[in-house]
Amino acid sequence: MTRSEADAEDLVQETYIRALRFREQFAAGTNMKAWLFRILTNTFINAYRKRSRTPETTELDDVDEFSLYRRMSTERAASSSPDPEREFLDGIVSSEVTDALEDLPEKFRTTVLLDVEGFSYKEIAEMLGIPIGTVMSRLHRGRKFLQQRLYDLARERGIAAVRTAPRTE
Amino acid sequence: MDCDDCLDKLYTFLDKELAPTERTAVAQHLSDCGDCEDNFGFEERFLEVLRDCGTADIAPRELRERVAERLRRTPPPPTL
Repeated sequence: MTRSEADAEDLVQETYIRALRFREQFAAGTNMKAWLFRILTNTFINAYRKRSRTPETTELDDVDEFSLYRRMSTERAASSSPDPEREFLDGIVSSEVTDALEDLPEKFRTTVLLDVEGFSYKEIAEMLGIPIGTVMSRLHRGRKFLQQRLYDLARERGIAAVRTAPRTE
Repeated sequence: MDCDDCLDKLYTFLDKELAPTERTAVAQHLSDCGDCEDNFGFEERFLEVLRDCGTADIAPRELRERVAERLRRTPPPPTL
């Protein structure tokens, strides 16, 4: 979420301190991980909003219709790989996912990361105080954005599956 | 259900957030349509890659020790 290891460590520390301070608000028998993540996301969002002078306005509208599967399907004939989709997916490394996530605007990144942590749409909506429909559209656009970025990184890496394709803009 | 309807529900299906009747309708379409099935398969593997890469971080030992130390120094809530 924070894009920086030092800030991430500060955020984790602050989360545990707050959790301890407000531990009586935790309802025994409910989901402890969800409770901790609610504190973590609130802490992060409050700190982030204080720090950022201009709110992010991007909505990632342009990635809405992007389909990497479609794109790779149309290029399959020109590719030297027998299974370009598999080669692309197998070639993705952690650091590339991290880089692509860092390029995501904050609200999309937070939503995608809560999904990666295994929370349901409803849980994410409650944590972020947004409607479920907004969670769905942020996940959709965030994932499409990541596909586009990872595809560009794969091209830079020059994997056979995407070597012949023109660069995405 | 046609391909467009099916693709509209792609992520809600893969995220297991669809109502049972809709889920059955999508599964039925996927069993009849190879292209949609391949498309869903690609997206499913992509989400697996995100989850594998996105949850690999374990807090470094120094951070865990620092948090433990701050917790020890933090006074208990006033109500206790």
